[in-house]
This record gives sequence, C-alpha cells and structure tokens, in this order.
Amino acid sequence: MQLSKDDLLRAYRIMKTVREFEERLHVEFATGEIPGFVHLYAGEEASAAGFCMHLDGRDKIASNHRGHGHSIAKGCDVHAMMAEIYGRETGLCAGKGGSMHIADLSMGMMGANGIVGGGPPLACGAALAAKKLGTGGVALAFFGDGASNQGTVMESLNLATVWNLPCIFVVENNGYAEATSSKYSVSCDDAADRAGAFNMPGVVVDGHDFFAIHEAGGEAVRRAREDSAPTLIEVKTNRYYGHFEGDAQTYRGKDEVKNLRANRDCLDLFRARVTSADLVEDAELDAIDGEAGDLIEDAVIKAKAASRPAASELLTDVYISY
Amino acid sequence: MSLDDHTPSVGILANPAAGRDIRRLVAQASVFPIAEKRNMITRLFTSLGALGVATVYMMPDEIGIANRIRHALETPPPAGQTWPEVVFLDMVVEGSAADTLVAVEMMAALGVGGIIVLGGDGTHRLVASRAGDIPLTALSTGTNNVFPAMREATIAGLAAGLVATGQVPGAEVSERNKALRIDVNGVASDLALIDLCTSTALWVGSRALWRADGLDQLFLSFAEADAIGLSSIGGIIRPVARGAKGGLWLNLAEPQAAPMVVTAPLAPGLMVDIGIEAVNDLRPGEAVPLRAARGVVALDGEREIEFSPTDKLAVRLEWDGPLTLDISKVMAYAAEQGLLTRVDETSRHANQQGE
Repeated sequence: MQLSKDDLLRAYRIMKTVREFEERLHVEFATGEIPGFVHLYAGEEASAAGFCMHLDGRDKIASNHRGHGHSIAKGCDVHAMMAEIYGRETGLCAGKGGSMHIADLSMGMMGANGIVGGGPPLACGAALAAKKLGTGGVALAFFGDGASNQGTVMESLNLATVWNLPCIFVVENNGYAEATSSKYSVSCDDAADRAGAFNMPGVVVDGHDFFAIHEAGGEAVRRAREDSAPTLIEVKTNRYYGHFEGDAQTYRGKDEVKNLRANRDCLDLFRARVTSADLVEDAELDAIDGEAGDLIEDAVIKAKAASRPAASELLTDVYISY
Repeated sequence: MSLDDHTPSVGILANPAAGRDIRRLVAQASVFPIAEKRNMITRLFTSLGALGVATVYMMPDEIGIANRIRHALETPPPAGQTWPEVVFLDMVVEGSAADTLVAVEMMAALGVGGIIVLGGDGTHRLVASRAGDIPLTALSTGTNNVFPAMREATIAGLAAGLVATGQVPGAEVSERNKALRIDVNGVASDLALIDLCTSTALWVGSRALWRADGLDQLFLSFAEADAIGLSSIGGIIRPVARGAKGGLWLNLAEPQAAPMVVTAPLAPGLMVDIGIEAVNDLRPGEAVPLRAARGVVALDGEREIEFSPTDKLAVRLEWDGPLTLDISKVMAYAAEQGLLTRVDETSRHANQQGE
C-alpha cells in the first residue's frame, strides 16, 4: 500500500509528538512534581504510529505500563494526558489514574495497564464484542517481551485462535523486561515463534523502520477486519530510557543508547528517507517539530496550572454499578 | 584461497532472522524456529567432528542462535561423538545484515575450508557477496527458497567436512553459480543469485515482495519450472537451467493490460496473476538499463534498494557467483573411494581364506 504525502506527514507528527511528550516528561519527572511512576516510550514511536494509523473509531487498543505513545497514536488528547500524569482534575481520568492508568474509551483506548500481560485478555474481549456486534472493528494489544512470557498472553493467543477473533497481538520487544534481558528470559528467542503453537501467523519487524511496521500492521489489520483472524507481530525495538524514570540501567552497555540514538533512531531514519525520495521537504518536518514542541510546552503549563481533584472526589469513579 | 588449500576448519553461518518475515502473514510460508536451527547446527557438529574438522567458526548474534549453541556446548556431546572446537567470531554485532558480511569476511581471513549456510535465498545472497571462492554448503531453513536445498544437516555436514579436510577434491564436486549484478549510477552496488525485480513501490518496508501490482521488470539468472517465488514466473514461461549460459529478463504489466498472463506461485500458498509484456534472453555481460524512474529493487525476493529519478540503474548477468558444493556428488565420490568405510583386516583375511 502506498502512503500519500498526508499519510507521511501524519506519521511524522504522531512520532514527533510522542517523542516530545516523553523527552519533556524525562525532564519534568526529575523535578519531583509528578506523582507515581512513569515509563517512557522514547525510541519506540514507530511501533505505535505504524499500527495505530490503520485503526479507526471502531477499533480498540489495550496498552501496558509504557502507554503514552499508544495513547497519543490512538488519538487521546495530549493536554488531558499530561494533566492526568500530573494528577490534575482536568486529566483524562480526572487525575486519579496517573501515567499507568491513562484510558479514554471514547477514543478506543482501553487503558494503560500496570498488570504485566493484562492487556491481551482485554483485547480478546473487545475483539469478541466487535465480532458479535458486527461492528467491523478490530482489537490490538501492545505488550512487551516480559509480558510475552505471561500465562495471560498464552491464554489470549489460544482464545483468539479458538474463537477466530479479529485481534492483533503486538510484542514490543525492547530487549529488557525491567532489567532482565529478553535473550535470557524468552525461551524461544523470537516471541513470534510462539504464534505457530497457537496456529496463527507470527512475524518479526524492525522497530526502527516505520515503513516495515506500517506494512506488516496493515496486513494484520486487514486480516483481522476481513477474515476475523488473529496475528502476532514482534517488533524488535529499543527504549531510550530506563524501565522507569530513576532506573540506573546498570544492565545496559556503556554506549548502547548513544549508538541507538545515533544510528537507529526511527524519527531520523524516517526523515532521511522521505526527504531523500523528494516526497517531503525538510522544512515541512521542521514545522511539525516546532508545533509538537509548542503543543507539549502548552500541555505542561496547563497541567501545572490545573487543580488537583477535590478530596470529596476520592470515592467517585472507583466502583461502577451495572 | 583455492579449493585445494585444505584447512580443517569450517564456518557455519546461520541467519537468526530467516523465516520470520511478512510472508508468514500474507502467504502461508513455513515458520522455522530457532530451536530447529540450533538442532541442525549440532547435527553439523556431529558429522564435522566425525571427519576430523578441528574448528568451527560461527557468527555471534543478538537474537539467540549463538546463545542456544553456547548452551548446547555446556554439556558434553552425546556419547561416542567428538565435536569440533566452536569459536564465535570476535566482532561487534549490529543486529543487521551487515553482521553476515563481516562474519563471512572474517571466516575467509581465517582460511576456512568451506562455509555452511543456514538460511534462505537472502542469507545466501549476502554470504555470496563476500565468500569469494570458498565453497558454500547451502541449506534451506524453510520452504520458500530456490538457491539452497532442504537437506538433512548431518549429510550436509559430512559433505562439507569431506571437502574441508581434503578427502574429496573440492574442484570436482563444486559448481560456479551465476549472479545478477546491479549497477547504481555506474557503480557496482549489489547482487542477486536468482531474481532481481523492480517495483514501483516506494519503500523497502517489510522487504518481501508478494503483490503483483507495481511489479515492473524481472531479471532471472535461472528459472526452474518447479520453483517457488519470482523465478517461477520465468520457469512457467521459458525454463532456464541453473547451469545454462544465459538468463531471462521480462517486462511485466498489469494483467488486464498484458498480452500474456501467468498464474505464478509467488510464495508458499500464494498464487498471483502476473501480466507479461515481453520475454527476452539475458546474455552474460550485457547491461540492461532499468526502465522505471522511481521505485525499489528487490534482490532475491526482498526489497533492498530505493531509487529516485536522479538514479540510473542497470543489471548484468555474470558468471562470477559463489561456488556451491553438490552434496550428492560429494557423497557419491566418498562412497566410490570408500572414504567412510572401515574394513576390519582380520575378518577380511579370514573371509579371503574361506573363499
């Protein structure tokens, strides 16, 4: 499938917005003003953009603890996300969820998730609902290499095949489950190898290459939407920061991140290719850079200025009566 | 290094990424797990060790084959077996195709008597670009390949070991292959072993080429009638043997606008209508310019080179591809010479007396 110029600019805008969001959080978290934990997605942006560009209002995603990129790519409001992370009443969850519980059902974003391997069962449920209701929607679960070892993920892969669910399982293998290398902890090395055991296709794509992800993602979404059939895709990617902000990362090589930023950065690679092909001008991308920076600056200012939830709100939104 | 300079060492190059691409999603290509590659390699150790190959050089990798082999080496080989010493090359692993190129160059510098390749057409293409005259034992890890064959690793190891140890003369059991060379702006850029195809797709993307739309020109070094992949297009129309002097080049078109249409198996489980505009002989040494102004060049089925209107590209067929061992020939030679036979002199003497 050929990407139009509008598609290319949209892809860059998503990736750049995520990058600016995460780089800024890295700085802001160090000030101590942000409550709870944050897990940054910088370095992995091509994955969120490459998949979510194929999704529409009918579709749902389930995310994980590293969910900011997924949320932005699925269309969550950046101001409300930032306010949520700051714990303000203007946040997506009224400031009571924080980074690891960002959710916006109106955008099909079923939530970041603090439970490792918690997303795939939710995606199966959403896919089953879409199938039963005949909406034409699909569900996509983003999870990591650590989660790929969890029983919940195995059960979800099994269920998705048994029920022919329109579901896509995306393993974002960034090399480490917290501090444990996937080379040590994933028995089959490529998590995609597990797909065969559940009778579904499993492929590996380069997580630094937006075009590779976008193409494989398009085929997986088509297969889910048209054939109601599940797919597992493993994205080989890297994160630029620690498992969480404050992680000393003693388990990583000395220049590992420096080399990744210099040679494998998904935004740099994207820019080089679209400009050398004369499809997009550098100036157009520069303009997006500026707009993304301004957007995040404004989001931080507004988040800091917003009020915290009132004490009287403590027990609202906690339980739902059916 | 010539075929007759024998050293008791062999290189094994197993592509950890082979068998994972998008053809598992868009077609029904087989999945070849790393665990099975590891098993194949240990079977190679068994036969290489049995023939006296002292050292095996291997490429380290990020994904897991090297890790699995190190794990296998932590316990002694099965009773009665002697495995060669396994040395992992001292190189920086980038996790890309460049690793294969570096590893092959290092193996060549170490004077290996052969390289056993586990992978698909793409892996063999990379190895061929750096192997020079080192004979390759080509093993397929999947059903989606033309250049390497699906062979039992134990037998392939025997063949490679017999040649590497000098028991079978390499020159008698190896074959030179053709190569399709691509020149970009007058500079030799890369090669394909079987097929080189241009497409109007703009991006390398997920690499594999499986859609008919946008295919523009196809160059084939050989085209067997029972092939899978792009070369099946030529194989259906005008088969060309692997050892035939020349090749083919075809101009392709949309099926509805073409004078001829073939339904070709472009990947396992995938039959696609391809429009044929023209079929031409490709003579060795002749440079054929590409007609598309913008697009991608796929080498052995994988998109590799993006080009724009400022680039000038041409394709040549040359007889300077890699040397490959004919495993059947090696084993037949060994049988004829009794190289794998041991005769008990006492019982032979007794038998002769009884006659």
